[in-house]
Amino acid sequence: MSKAGNLFVEGDSLFHRMDGAVKLILLLTWTVSTFLFLDLRIFAVMLSAGIGMLLLSRIPFRRMALLFWVLMVFTLINSIFILIITPRFGSTLTGSNTPLIPVGYDTINAETLFYVLTLSAKYLTLLPVTMLFIFTTHPSRFAASLNKLGVHYKMAYAVSIAFRYIPDLTQEFKNILNAMQMRGMGISRGDGNLWRRMKNLSLVVVPLLQSSLQHIESVSNAMDLRGFGTGSKRTWYMGMPMSRSDKWMLLLCVLLLVAAILLKGFWAEKFWYPF
Amino acid sequence: MKSSIWKWNTRTVVTIGIGAALYGATSWIGIPIAPDTQLRPAVALLAIFGALFGPVVGFVAGLIGHVINDFLTSGTVWWGWALGSGITAAFMGLIYLSKGFNPQDGEIRKGHVVRFLIYGLVGIFVSLAFSGLFDIYVMGEPNDKIIIQTVTAGLANTAVFVILGIPAVWAYAKRNRNNTNLTVER
Repeated sequence: MSKAGNLFVEGDSLFHRMDGAVKLILLLTWTVSTFLFLDLRIFAVMLSAGIGMLLLSRIPFRRMALLFWVLMVFTLINSIFILIITPRFGSTLTGSNTPLIPVGYDTINAETLFYVLTLSAKYLTLLPVTMLFIFTTHPSRFAASLNKLGVHYKMAYAVSIAFRYIPDLTQEFKNILNAMQMRGMGISRGDGNLWRRMKNLSLVVVPLLQSSLQHIESVSNAMDLRGFGTGSKRTWYMGMPMSRSDKWMLLLCVLLLVAAILLKGFWAEKFWYPF
Repeated sequence: MKSSIWKWNTRTVVTIGIGAALYGATSWIGIPIAPDTQLRPAVALLAIFGALFGPVVGFVAGLIGHVINDFLTSGTVWWGWALGSGITAAFMGLIYLSKGFNPQDGEIRKGHVVRFLIYGLVGIFVSLAFSGLFDIYVMGEPNDKIIIQTVTAGLANTAVFVILGIPAVWAYAKRNRNNTNLTVER
């Protein structure tokens, strides 16, 4: 984990220079556009566009690999589960039934297989832009951009504190875990059976909560001393003025959203099944 | 002293931030109980922050915490479930509004625990109904699968709430009661 307490990667690509608010709008419009459809063609186009943007940002693959595999495993388990629980769900969407793989109590049909593929593509479509956002946006800049979008600065500051506090919390967590380990309440393999280790792990939460509650006192006192919350507005050290490319991106986002809504309204069926 | 839940002072801001960080950073701890569904001890934090600081703080901290956790560990924000975390915390936080309940000063009665339990159970039910419907209508997931996931998640959350959440709030209040066990001599 980097010093900033999140996955931010230093860099100087088009997306690193882009305004945080614009990137957030891009993420939101992308998410909404994806939510509207269940159509493999649209996901294929969006996924390629997303991967293209991700390549432009030149984030090292090493950093992205973990999240990619996590989501892959997630969708794989999800798909298998859907196929086992509802082997013929696809038929309720298409109206046709083409038996394919017998699984004893029922038969997985081609429609469901295609549906699972579409659903996995839907989840994967969300990944590149989310990664783009989290890897290229500095948390402090993110707070500034939230404020720019009209979110009250106190709320934006709460988000900022959350990001800022995670590395401290991770450190505190390790300290408590070490202290517990010294008393024979560790979480490694030699410390007992799985249940015992899980219990020890959850016991860490109590002192962690205690120290966090104390942190609340000291941090809010420090902020009060510096006059936080006296003004109705606030400027941001990490705030940036919007550049021309930001405005173009904003226009693209609006176009994407309008195109998605028009497509949904006039043309797209609920679920696209070519066969 | 309890202040209005709508007033945002510095403490509120810091509490939300730290609560969200705490929830976000501990949500990865979990035991898988159904495919892509976990028993997360961190749910107890929703109960604790809700009870100690009120429904508004609980909602925002739960929402931000869940979004941060999704950013860090899954690469995709599951908005339906993130809002679900917030809703759970908001319902659990309703106890904060009941009369005479003040864990900071050690004021908690048996009646409060019963009410806390009811609020919590309603909250878990409402939030999972919301998350499930969100997944069915927005994501297009099959109903039967979502029912299995939400029911197991509901049972897990209830277990965490009853076994960890309520005792934690009770213990916290009791710990703060030490300085009030004085009697008036006549």
